[in-house]
Amino acid sequence: MNLKLSLTIAIAICLFGTIAWELYWRSQGYYPDVDNDEALFAVQRNRAEKASNSDVILIGSSRIHFDIQLDIWMQETGIKPIQLAYPGATPLPVFDDLVNNTNFVGTIIVGVTPGLFFSSTTTEKRAYRSANDKVEYYHDQTYAQRINHLLSIPLQQNLAFISDADGVDAIKLQFLLEGIQFGNRIEGNDFPPFPNFADISLDRNLRMTEKTVTDTSFARLIKNVWSFKSTPETPPREMSKDSVMKLFTKDAKIFQERGGNLVLLRCPSTGYYRKKEENFYCRDEFWDELLKQSGAKGYHFEDYLQLKDLDCPEWSHLSGEDADFFTTEIAKIMMADKAIPFNPKTN
Amino acid sequence: MLFNSLSFVVFLVIVLLLYYSKFLNWTNKKRMLLLASYIFYGLWNPPLVILLWISTVVDWTAGKKLAIENNQRKRKMWLLLSMFVNLGFLAFFKYGNFLLENFTTVVNAIGFDFEALPMDIILPMGISFYTFQTMSYTIDMYKRKIEPARTFLDFALYVTFFPQLVAGPIVRAKDLITQFYEEKKATANQFFWGIFLLTIGLFQKVVMADTLLSNTSDTVFGSDKLLHGVDAWIGTLAFSGQIFFDFAGYSTCAIGIALMLGIILPDNFRYPYASLGFSDLWSRWHISLSSWLKDYLYIPLGGNRHGITRMYVALMLTMLLGGLWHGAAWTFMVWGGLHGTYLILEKLQKQYLPFKITKWNGIFLAFITFSCVNITWVFFRAREFDTAWSMIKSMFYMQTDGEKILGSFDVLKVSLVVGILFICHWLMRNTSMKAVSLKTNPVVLGVFWAFMLFLIIISQGSGEQFIYFQF
Repeated sequence: MNLKLSLTIAIAICLFGTIAWELYWRSQGYYPDVDNDEALFAVQRNRAEKASNSDVILIGSSRIHFDIQLDIWMQETGIKPIQLAYPGATPLPVFDDLVNNTNFVGTIIVGVTPGLFFSSTTTEKRAYRSANDKVEYYHDQTYAQRINHLLSIPLQQNLAFISDADGVDAIKLQFLLEGIQFGNRIEGNDFPPFPNFADISLDRNLRMTEKTVTDTSFARLIKNVWSFKSTPETPPREMSKDSVMKLFTKDAKIFQERGGNLVLLRCPSTGYYRKKEENFYCRDEFWDELLKQSGAKGYHFEDYLQLKDLDCPEWSHLSGEDADFFTTEIAKIMMADKAIPFNPKTN
Repeated sequence: MLFNSLSFVVFLVIVLLLYYSKFLNWTNKKRMLLLASYIFYGLWNPPLVILLWISTVVDWTAGKKLAIENNQRKRKMWLLLSMFVNLGFLAFFKYGNFLLENFTTVVNAIGFDFEALPMDIILPMGISFYTFQTMSYTIDMYKRKIEPARTFLDFALYVTFFPQLVAGPIVRAKDLITQFYEEKKATANQFFWGIFLLTIGLFQKVVMADTLLSNTSDTVFGSDKLLHGVDAWIGTLAFSGQIFFDFAGYSTCAIGIALMLGIILPDNFRYPYASLGFSDLWSRWHISLSSWLKDYLYIPLGGNRHGITRMYVALMLTMLLGGLWHGAAWTFMVWGGLHGTYLILEKLQKQYLPFKITKWNGIFLAFITFSCVNITWVFFRAREFDTAWSMIKSMFYMQTDGEKILGSFDVLKVSLVVGILFICHWLMRNTSMKAVSLKTNPVVLGVFWAFMLFLIIISQGSGEQFIYFQF
């Protein structure tokens, strides 16, 4: 047995195979990127522990995640916000966690995406569970998990095949195997392909890819997902207005009473989503009522001439360029209102 | 810290560099290993290292006293102290909620209206392993079977040695402590073989258990539907494969890592799915636990020294407690009870219906054993009796309207993986990996090794915890 020879051969072949694997995926259009996972969320959540009263925390769903560009906000206000929004999730668990598990008395800007915000207050529902899982992960995170995340960052940033993406973008062996379908033993999954359409950076700044803006057939894929088996007239599957109002206003009161500054933000939507929101989340019953009950300042994109006609390439989020514009304008509006803190020394 | 994580790769490289550095003498190398072991454990939850310290100090003290004390009553007191502390930890941390729930049920059943708030107790990782390991030391000292550890450092390292700390093998003091007395250094061949075993272990965990089988098993056992028989069987087979690859993978990693340090740990698995009957199974599956249960439970309960009935009672009690060792739930007791029943039936068969095992009926017998083992896994994996019973009914086609939830690819994948696993175990049952690799051309071995490494890398394991950590 010549184990040294075997090991040398193993390392050489494995290295060759890994390089070939990486080159193959790059040739398929993949590039190194960071995973928008719970570990990345936990790093930002940890920043909230030491945040001062001049800091700003963004929470919400994907709209505030896409539409507020952190560097632009920093340019305008001199303060870099902490991004704790999460796609497909309600902000309620994150808000509840910030209010009850930190002493933060700065500004929390809550992105209100009606379909998700008013969806649920229990972990039985996906939108709530998704955010709650991130919060729990943060509190349960071990030191080993933190180190693993730190060590994985250089790999994620330099290797295209290191990716946690699932669905049509999956590269991980398990997800590739799950994609193999044959026979008709069970009904096939007719859910349309849902490609990734944004890039995230280490500070969790999310930005729509250029392809989504310029390639209408690609944007159509995303639209197919949003409107899957549903029209603007189809009632939402999950809605829980009263319990959401109750939970949110309870936390809002606690936060405001201890000196925190609460701001609500309604980001743009168009097409299918705009119509659906008009049909089922009429402004006076939801948005206005939420402002009234929570006592928070509110900013609705429809109220501003320069924002109300912004276009969302896939009905729900702004392109990178429009997100820059939206961030600039909304920051100016909020500053003019003295609704948010700003640092005149750096802006 | 998990073997299948980036932090462990860095940790192991640092430990190996320090271990083979010239500037540390043997005592300092052992101190370094001890510190590394505490870091290994503490990176999961630092305060729980205190439990390890308490266990170590109590058993070290008890062991020292047992070595010099001649008064039998006092000796018994020292043994009881060790048992009280270790079993007390287990009772509180592992069985606290279970005991409370059952107490509440009993109290309510006899008419008292009592409702207890569930205790929010964290289960320290690997507590069942290190408490059993350290208890074996004091019991052996009490029976004057072993000499006391020469130094506190040797004993502390025996309790805490990181490769096998959280999921075994459960090593006896005579097999491990004595290895710490002289400086250990792996030979080149031992070191490379250690890396090979580590690769095999990671391949079993990351590729076979987590990538190929876990999802199917989770889908089936997580379903609240009445399942079609094929789906129930495939889900059970997937779990059967998953738990073997997961646990044997951990043990293989542990043995490989220790070997890289020149320390030899005993085998914990010997191709158990090709066992010819259940006595054979328990000499091949989780060997270090089954031998522990035999030596410290079955034999003290009487073993086969007091007639057949007493032997069956001892056997059943041992297996029931073995089941409970795995988890604080009645489903684990049923798992243990089924294995106890199988063992008793096998003994009855050997007494009243003996037959000779040939190469022709052997594989059939192995298949029957494997099928019976699969039935027990249903109770092991299902968290509720309702789920387990529903699965069993589906497996025996008592639910004709069961729903199909697995795709054709899942059925094919699990059948192939578990089928190949069974055949490999059958072919390997009388040999060893080392013996096979000795006969293999180094180039072929290198290609096979590369294949495993490559699949580990492209699987991008997300650091899934090993199943046995929870036990």
